[in-house]
Parts: sequence; C-alpha cells; structure tokens
Amino acid sequence: MPSGISFGLLGPNGAGKTTLIRLLVGLLKPKSGSVRILGQTPSRKTAPLIGYMPQLHSLYTELSVIQNVNFFARVYQMNDKRQRNERVEEVIRLVDLWQRRKDSVLKLSGGMRQRVSLACAIVHNPPLLFLDEPTVGLDPELRVTFWEHFATLTKQGITLIVSSHTMDDAAHCDRLAFMRDGKLIAHGTPNELREATGKPDATLEDAFLHFIHRELKENVQ
Amino acid sequence: MSNNTLTIANRIIYQLIRDRRTMVLLIAVPLVIASIVGVSIPDKQTLDYIAPAVLAVLILFFGFLLTGISFLRERSQGTLERLMASPVSKLDIVGGYLLGFLLFAVLQTMILFFYLIYVLKISFHGELWQIIVFEIIIGILAVCLGIFISVFARNEFQMVQFIPIIIVPQMFLCGLLWPVEQMPDYLQWIARFLPLTYGVDGIRALMLQGQNLLDIGKEIGVLAGYTVGLMILASLTLRRGAAS
Repeated sequence: MPSGISFGLLGPNGAGKTTLIRLLVGLLKPKSGSVRILGQTPSRKTAPLIGYMPQLHSLYTELSVIQNVNFFARVYQMNDKRQRNERVEEVIRLVDLWQRRKDSVLKLSGGMRQRVSLACAIVHNPPLLFLDEPTVGLDPELRVTFWEHFATLTKQGITLIVSSHTMDDAAHCDRLAFMRDGKLIAHGTPNELREATGKPDATLEDAFLHFIHRELKENVQ
Repeated sequence: MSNNTLTIANRIIYQLIRDRRTMVLLIAVPLVIASIVGVSIPDKQTLDYIAPAVLAVLILFFGFLLTGISFLRERSQGTLERLMASPVSKLDIVGGYLLGFLLFAVLQTMILFFYLIYVLKISFHGELWQIIVFEIIIGILAVCLGIFISVFARNEFQMVQFIPIIIVPQMFLCGLLWPVEQMPDYLQWIARFLPLTYGVDGIRALMLQGQNLLDIGKEIGVLAGYTVGLMILASLTLRRGAAS
C-alpha cells in the first residue's frame, strides 16, 4: 500500500472492521494465517510506528486535555521534555482545543473528546494511523472538520486506515475496501468501484450493494 | 525501573489528586473508622489488641478498592486497549500501578498510625519505619489483588460486590476481633489460607510485641508468596493479543 493516502474500510456493523484493525495493531492474535504490518508481525517493536484511535474515546476522564495528550506522548517514548511539550501543543492546536487544554475531559462534549482522542493517537508522529470509526456520533459539520484534519495528515505523508459504515466517509478516501461477514468483497479507488457497477451515475452505495449481490449470487452457486 | 513505569505511576497520582473528594475520603474514612473503634472499645487492653489490626485491614481494603476500580475503568473506558497497542509492557503497567498507589498507602498509613498512637493512645513498642515497610508489603498484595479481581467485574457496581466476597470474610477470620486460635478448628484452617491473617499477625508482632521485620519472616514470606502468585495471574489477564 502506498504511503500518504487514506484507506477506507467500509462495511456494515459486524463486518469485522474493528477485528481487522485490532489484528493489525497487535491487540489480537490471528487464530489461523498471519498478519504482517510494515513488513513485520505486529509487536511492541512495530507499536511506535503506529497510531491507534479506538472506537471508544479511550481517555482518562479525570485528567485534563493536555495531561491526556502528554501522557500518551510519554508512553510513546518522547522523552525530550522541550520537544514533547512543543509537539503536545502542536497537536492540541491542530484539533483546535488549545483554549480548553486545562479542562478535564469529563467537561468536554462528545465531539471534543473525539478530537482529544485523535490528538493522543497522532502525538508521536506515527507514519501509519488506524482510526476505528472516528466519525461515529459526530454532527455533519464536525465530520467535515475531521476529514480536513485527516487531509492535513495525509499531506504530511501519514497513511490513514479509517473504518466506517457510512458511504459519506467513503467518498473522502483515496482507496476503499468493502467488507462483509469478515470477508473482503471488493477493493479499489472510489471511481473504480463505482465503474464496476456498469452504471454511469452509480454512487458508492450502489457500488457496495452491487458487490454484495455479486457475493450472494456466488454463494448460491 | 523503566521510564514507562514512572510515567504510569505519575498519571495515577495525578488522577487521584485531581479527584478531590476521593482524596478527602482516603484520609477521612480511616480516621472515622479508627475513631469508632477507639470509642466503642472502652477496655484499653482490647483496644491495644484490635487497633493495630485495623491498620492492616484498611490498607488491604483501600488498596484493593482503589486499584480495582481504577483498573476496571482502564479496561471499560478503553485506555487499556490504547496502552496495550503502545510500546509499554505489562510489567510497566503493573509496576506503575504499584508505585502510584503505594505513595497513597504510605501516606494513609502514617496518618492513621499517628492518630492511633497520639489520639487513641494505643500502646506501641516498635519502630515506625518497620510498620511502613510491612504495610507496603500488604499494599503490594492489595494492588495485585485489585488488578486481578477487576477482570471479573464489568462495572463499578460489580467491583464493589467483590468486597463482601474477597475482603469481608478475611476481616472476620483474620483475627481482627477475636484470636484465630480460639476459633473452631475448621475456621482456623480456613484462616490459615487467607493472606490478611498473616498481615494482622505481622503487624501485631511489630506493634505490640516489639518484634522486628526479621522475627516475622514467616508472615512476610507468606504474603510475598501470595503477591507473586497474584502478580502472575494479574499479568496473564493483561496478555497482549488477548484484549477483549
């Protein structure tokens, strides 16, 4: 997979998107087969190269925004205090929460917590970033803001792997993979997937349904 | 000691300090309990017998409860998943919890100790530092117990339900109120399997009989054995690749 792109994992709930991400970040071990990431089996050695934003907000609610981000910076071995402080400020400004940095996470709204969660995932500058349903529960305006943040990251050369079940998110991705029942049913660029339906004005939704029907037909035969 | 252990300990200390009410309760509750014990037992000799045991019981109770709930939150709010995907090791996590909570355990022990000696006027023939060392040993056990038991709880209510299962039987059977030697044989037999029994025996020996840490080697050994066992169980529940 090339770097600096956003790769969307699309599929309905229960398709196995989260499981796949957890396999890739090393939280789960495969029952059969093998998982390779950046040419290696996921382990503590690959961990520093990976950013992971889980589905839950996954923050220490008693702590402030800056304490949360700073904690994860330290966990990821950013030991130089001056550099760390600069980077912590940079990512909190990126998600536009510098004014609220001293507030405890408990006082923040869902969308703000989501942004803190993103800041914690990118603070150590990982080349590869996994985002598990990052836009779930966000209002349309925030969703757009989030995709702007993601665009900033891909421009910096960071590769994003984003899971989602809305086609709205899919349209923002450079590449897509459709998943259903734990299986990959199609992958390619949004345009390729749309063209595969054979209809000139097909939406991504149409494309997804097209591949599901094809899959079902193959299963019957 | 690794940098990561300190990072996690540091975070735990901040979490507790920022939670003002918990901090006040941590200091006030032991004093309230000690006061009730002091007022309700007019007989000086009985009080001398029971008060030191309160030190051991409270450190186990608070260590268990605080670690259990903190760790439960770490699991349920998803931060443990984040930590397990990061470069920290499970040893860093358990070590960080130990270090963070032991600071509060020492603080609590000292406040309670001075209260017992100077306000309740308990007889004391020993040395404070030895009592702190022994309390730390019980505290380590309590933290490992809390981490391990937190696996079986899905929420805070369930965690609190483990107090009557894990802590209360030990309180009644450890000899806090009545000497173990005077209990029926089968209860004595059960008591010999409970770590708190050794905690209470040890602290009485240190405070009342003027013995030192070397004299209570057996008690320390048993507590250390339990601690190692629980630490292994606790870290097994933290296996990378098995987070659920």
